[in-house]
Amino acid sequence: MAFLGRSNRESATDLLFLLPILVILAGFLFYPLVYGIVLSVHDTKGLDLTSFVGLDHYARAILGDAVFHRALVNTFLFTGAAVVLLTGVGLFLAVLVADVKRGRTFFRIVFFAPFVLASVAVGEVWKFLYAPYFGIVASVGSALGFHTLTIAPLADTSTALWAIMVAFLWRFAGFNMVVYLAAIQGLPREYYEYAVLEGAGRFEQFRRITWPLLWPHTFTLVLLTTLGTLRIFDMVWVMTAGGPSHATETVATDVYVTAFRFLQVGYAQAMAMILLFLILLLALVEYRFFERRAEMVSS
Amino acid sequence: MIRLPRLRWSAVLLGVLAVVWLYPVAWTLANAIRPGADIYRAPWDLPWPPAIGNIGEAWNRGQLGAALANSVYVTAMTVAVILVVSVSGAYSLTRLRPPLRAVFFMVVLAPLIIPTDVLIVPIFSMFRALGLINSLPGVALFNVMANVSFATLILTGYFRTIPRDVIDAARVDGAGRIEVLLGIMVPLARPGIVAVAVLVAVFTWNDFSGSLVLIQKPDAFTVQLALTRFSTLYATDQGLTFAGMAIAILPPLLLFLVLQRSFIRGLAAGAIRR
Repeated sequence: MAFLGRSNRESATDLLFLLPILVILAGFLFYPLVYGIVLSVHDTKGLDLTSFVGLDHYARAILGDAVFHRALVNTFLFTGAAVVLLTGVGLFLAVLVADVKRGRTFFRIVFFAPFVLASVAVGEVWKFLYAPYFGIVASVGSALGFHTLTIAPLADTSTALWAIMVAFLWRFAGFNMVVYLAAIQGLPREYYEYAVLEGAGRFEQFRRITWPLLWPHTFTLVLLTTLGTLRIFDMVWVMTAGGPSHATETVATDVYVTAFRFLQVGYAQAMAMILLFLILLLALVEYRFFERRAEMVSS
Repeated sequence: MIRLPRLRWSAVLLGVLAVVWLYPVAWTLANAIRPGADIYRAPWDLPWPPAIGNIGEAWNRGQLGAALANSVYVTAMTVAVILVVSVSGAYSLTRLRPPLRAVFFMVVLAPLIIPTDVLIVPIFSMFRALGLINSLPGVALFNVMANVSFATLILTGYFRTIPRDVIDAARVDGAGRIEVLLGIMVPLARPGIVAVAVLVAVFTWNDFSGSLVLIQKPDAFTVQLALTRFSTLYATDQGLTFAGMAIAILPPLLLFLVLQRSFIRGLAAGAIRR
């Protein structure tokens, strides 16, 4: 009994060290979360609650808001493309870099560097790269003899979202590359030696050894990309602010405009809560899917 | 014999990709010291003689100097608070016993799934009630909250590699918790602490949505906010805009180049150890 009491007291003291972080989370995560739910079911004047409206905001967003629908479609298209492209390009770069004999550190720095640049700066730079006349798309294209001088990918509703995607890919592929590269370098050499003895080609080695063994990392990266991309705001805001005519509107930019430009705070928060719900749902679905795949691989 | 040409092919491809990847950064830095008119007329020439004046003008006319000071202040405060809170929290998560540990681990990791972005409206409302709008400590607080979870996650990973016996032995010898934490654990986990400090510094420096929502007065602008104002205010003066971008890009870029090893290792540790 005395031992148990002492151990409990020990734990209680250890727990004290967690207090600061718990206070921060309670104040700046759980309270805003609860208050966000409250906001979303109220009409508002400025930031003040006026009347309880139940699920009206949710119904309006889901059933009757064309801009929000566009934002949802864009967000999911963009996230889907980001997951596939970031994973693919990241893995491709990692395999290439793992293959060179010298200069691995150099390549790692080059491909990873855009990650440390601010989304504002990256957005501004790519805006210039896409600019008509002196941007790279316009000038390189016309130097090669195409009529691209007046092309402005960000101003065209059919290309704007994918133009942002290219910049996004440039910025974040290095992160996936670094994670994959570390994983590849940790794979047992013998597997490959054995595969070579069996006469397996490079592609066969990749398909039979590298890809399945990297599965846990692919899972982590897909999950991180999903969580990080569904909330995308900064780069879109800087490059197009959701335009032209909502072609690049994402849920986060829609929430921002609705709350801080149109001052429909309660309604904006309802849209944000829908996004949060979808984030949690998608994270859960991915988790389940990968868990099952992982069981199949190990059995 | 067959391997040689294939190796060279992948190296060539890698070289081309590296040039493509480097180009936007090199272009930005070159345009920052290129006379404004040449950006249109001679975009491919070397910026010679360098128009250093761009930088000075961006600093003064664009008030980047003041914005830099604000960003340094916010970043330093965020890093300091995060280090204290996450070292303390990681100690707790390392020392707690199984049932409690799992529960609190989940609690601490919750913000990784619930992004601050979806709570920006209630956070704004709350900060206004607390008088933290247009306040640099307010922006720091926002960044503390956005980064504290992964910082604690990374540090917990490092602390767990320290053998429990080492800590228990010191405790039996009569060392207090804080003594053990600061005297043994922190020095042993120094690479992790450096990684966390650098990562948090870069993320805070680069934060945009927090300061966009919380800062409205120009004299409290952070670098990122000042930069967005640049492109609208000085849209016709590209030299100035590029100089502004270069000034905003360089601090995190230099920090990364100097500390790239711990930077990448810290991130990878956070991503892989789950």
